[in-house]
Amino acid sequence: MRSRPRNRIAKSGFLLAASLLMVVPFLWALSTSFKLPGDVFAYPPRFLPDPFTTGNYLNVTTLIPFPRYFINSTIVTGTIVILNVIFGTAAAYAFAKLRFPGRDAIFFLLLLTLMVPFQVNLIPLYKMMVELHKAIPPLGADTYFGLIAPSAVSVFGIFLMRGFLRSIPDEILESARIDGASELRVLRSIVFPLAVPGMATLAIFTFLGAWNDFLWPLVVTNSDTMRTLPLGLALLARRNTSDWGTTMAGTIVTAAPMIIVFLLMQRRFIEGLTAGAVKDGG
Amino acid sequence: MIASIARRFRGASAGYLLIAPVLVATVVFLVIPMVVSGYWSLTHYNGIKPPQFVGLQNYLDVLSNPRFQRAFQNTIFFVVMGMGIGPLLGLGSAILLNDNLRLRALFRTSFFLPTMTSLIVVATIWKLMYADNGIINAVAAFFSLPGHPWLTDPTTALPAVVVTAIWQGFGFETVVFLAALQAVPKEYYEAATMDGAGPWAKFRWVTLPGIRPTIVFVYVIGIIGSFQTFDQVFVMTNGGPIQATRTIVFDLVDRFNKLDIGGASAVAYILLVFLAVLSYVQLRLGESRD
Amino acid sequence: MRSRFRALAGLATLAIVFSACGSSGATTNPTVGPTTGPTGAASGTAGTSPEPTAAPSYDTTPVTIKVWDYYGDTTPIKPTLDGFKKEFPWITIDYQALDWDSMNEKFKAGLGAGEVPDLATLDMTWIPTLAANGALEDLTPISGGRVNGKPITDQYTQGAIDAMTFGNQMVSMLYDFDTYSLYYRKDLFDQKGIAVPTNWDQFRAAAKALAESSKPGGKLDKYLTAIRPNSFHFAQYLYQDGGSLLNPDNTAAVFNSPAGVDAVNIQKALLDDGSGKYWSDADGDLTPAIKSGEVAMFQDGPYYMGLLKSGVPEQSGKWAVATAPYSKQPGSYLGGTGLGIPVQAMHKDAAWLLAQYLLRPEQQVGVFNYAGAAPATTAALQSADLTKPDPYFGGEQPFSVFLESMKTSRPFPYVGAWDDIDVAIADAMQKALLGKAPVQTALDDAVTETNALLKK
Repeated sequence: MRSRPRNRIAKSGFLLAASLLMVVPFLWALSTSFKLPGDVFAYPPRFLPDPFTTGNYLNVTTLIPFPRYFINSTIVTGTIVILNVIFGTAAAYAFAKLRFPGRDAIFFLLLLTLMVPFQVNLIPLYKMMVELHKAIPPLGADTYFGLIAPSAVSVFGIFLMRGFLRSIPDEILESARIDGASELRVLRSIVFPLAVPGMATLAIFTFLGAWNDFLWPLVVTNSDTMRTLPLGLALLARRNTSDWGTTMAGTIVTAAPMIIVFLLMQRRFIEGLTAGAVKDGG
Repeated sequence: MIASIARRFRGASAGYLLIAPVLVATVVFLVIPMVVSGYWSLTHYNGIKPPQFVGLQNYLDVLSNPRFQRAFQNTIFFVVMGMGIGPLLGLGSAILLNDNLRLRALFRTSFFLPTMTSLIVVATIWKLMYADNGIINAVAAFFSLPGHPWLTDPTTALPAVVVTAIWQGFGFETVVFLAALQAVPKEYYEAATMDGAGPWAKFRWVTLPGIRPTIVFVYVIGIIGSFQTFDQVFVMTNGGPIQATRTIVFDLVDRFNKLDIGGASAVAYILLVFLAVLSYVQLRLGESRD
Repeated sequence: MRSRFRALAGLATLAIVFSACGSSGATTNPTVGPTTGPTGAASGTAGTSPEPTAAPSYDTTPVTIKVWDYYGDTTPIKPTLDGFKKEFPWITIDYQALDWDSMNEKFKAGLGAGEVPDLATLDMTWIPTLAANGALEDLTPISGGRVNGKPITDQYTQGAIDAMTFGNQMVSMLYDFDTYSLYYRKDLFDQKGIAVPTNWDQFRAAAKALAESSKPGGKLDKYLTAIRPNSFHFAQYLYQDGGSLLNPDNTAAVFNSPAGVDAVNIQKALLDDGSGKYWSDADGDLTPAIKSGEVAMFQDGPYYMGLLKSGVPEQSGKWAVATAPYSKQPGSYLGGTGLGIPVQAMHKDAAWLLAQYLLRPEQQVGVFNYAGAAPATTAALQSADLTKPDPYFGGEQPFSVFLESMKTSRPFPYVGAWDDIDVAIADAMQKALLGKAPVQTALDDAVTETNALLKK
């Protein structure tokens, strides 16, 4: 939707101001991450670090086994995102477009699982993983499987995709079915391509949740080699004190992949949408 | 006729097939733990000695506990403020960002940045901003306004935490609404313009109906989520001052920390029943005119 | 269909491959279950010599014990492990580093699932809940009343022993201790001619003399005294006025006595004078305020020495530590870190060997050298490292002050409901100090709530 040039300049100005408000705390974190410990709370407060130091980032990468944590986070988060996008979209399609007995009741039951805080499931789930690990060592507690499995599907994701998929016109699906395509074929060839913007959105939110997850990795891992990044970074906080500079460096380092993923995905889901929906006349 | 029955049958079995992986995973990793906790909510259980059945005793204890009641009250405030303001900010910013502006990628990233940063970090940063010698009081002083102990005063603590939560959360609504807005076919807007509709009419008769399912989604998910607020409160105020920012999940975690697993589970189930009813009503309202 | 199964199979294989590479060797030893009695313990034999040798009286079956440590990267425990391994080569240590908050969450979640370490560092404020729920092993049988060959009572102050005891069980070994003394800006005291306060009246006067306004005629906002509304500081002043939190058999609350009212009033007096700075726990540590000069006097524990040195290095030489001023008798709360062995632990005897090792003076000194905290055993406190002059504190020895303080400090009462009582007291303090309720009323309400909790 292109607005008139005068409107656009006013809009840009407003958005710039608003963006600044959104971004200021993050900029403060960025600035702090380059300060010496003694300067973090220097009085009067200074925005620009002086002296500028990369020591905190060095701390982050050397005081903890950073590469290992980073790789773990990447593997765990990547797998969770892939599993969620594929299976979540497939299920969402069924809930959105297919009819089968009990569909709405099952959907509501799935929704119920969102209404219980994770802390409640923590102990039974952990116990399950512990027993599983004893029975089948490669699975269960303290393994990638243990880290990934509980988040492998997300009802939130299904709910999200169901909304997006509802807007796909039934006629397209019907004509494909009449042409003899199986439901899976329909899913693969027609639905998935049209759902790409929604899937990109889902990918972003799933990535966000999985990358920053703290409580489950804390409980389910016991070896240092299995820890994820947020967990590893928490250890940089000493008892009763915080090295703010290093903690902020850790924050920035954790947020960076997220920002990159968002930048990559946002083009896809926002730019790509208009193409799909409009073609068939709405 | 037979072909259509066959097709419908095939549709049903395809449906079950497609939801099977998700259903299995949900049952194993979510439903089973929930059932176990449900059982524990009917027991006195500290995680070490075997659970002792006590029926609904935990529920009665929880509901009559003044701290829990305060927590419930505080949470309602949270939800009303958060869901009253958040989606509006989200929709407003989505509409503004739904434009071919030159710096749109930068703007969109900025609006989503707070949501991308982990909850704990955002809460920590805002805590520093709210401190007596923090940025907010400094700005107030600049404008000759009095500073305030935002997080220490029981009257202002909860609103202060809510502001942080809204600031961080509405990026989610922005992104979701942005995607939904882009799915509304341009032809509808063109047709409306030809019919002589102004911007408000277009918004009311084209945009709003077009994104209705998304609005329902945002509210259902948003309310479920904000009722479970915990991390911000834990980091910023630890439930204080004087329980002013204690939320339901904070109460739940507190019980876990006291090894009162039965009580914590009871809190969870009280919340579940409440949210289930609320969500059901929302979904029915939202889809009644479909 | 085929493509999906292929994808699933592929993912499953990947997961298995990764997890096989990823999982550690931390298996649980299938042999030993509950304690096998005194045969494995170090105590029985060595009567005179303080250094138990790796005598054949130990059960030397190879064993792996899990140790969880919340000290973070300044831990005094990790550096000792190599030495321990040399002396006890059949014991392998599976060491996990956590931070303070995470330890609380993970330990308690582990209890519920039966996945616990063999030895853990536990904050003394967590111990009442854990002990009341039977989570911690009674160390009396394993230790035989002795640590490193000497009676436990010889190595700790009475207050410390009280802190380690729940009912008639010894549920933890105090590893580092926390007790409050007065930190003050000596340079300002000297400059303004203020004498170090020894009683409450002098304390109030000193605070007033210390405080300044940064703008002429404005509110006092510099060189204030921190006032902290929590149960630790309340107990501090309460004990000093001769009061107690609960009655001797822990069945009723008595902190709304005149001593309790006095304890709150002295703090309120400073706030009313304008020389006190209200600083709640949610505000975090005092370092930013100290740095900016907003706070120049406060009461806190030994670990603040480390905080000052790392966060406010530019004020080196300006601070000193003195015994906290008291109205009737010296007194303070006693807290710290305890080493605990969970009841569900698999290898308690080996864990006890490590606990004793960590309590030897040579290792205890590491508590100060690495973590900047105060070791709990009296032997360590009198060692050279801890009694040498500290340049940050003007060449004085702060530890001797803390040791004195430890002799008159008492732990919180060990009742199962302590967590809730703690909150009730903190709420009462906040209400009274913020002026939301009269002092007596706030305390009375908290006492009523506490009594109800104690009855359950």
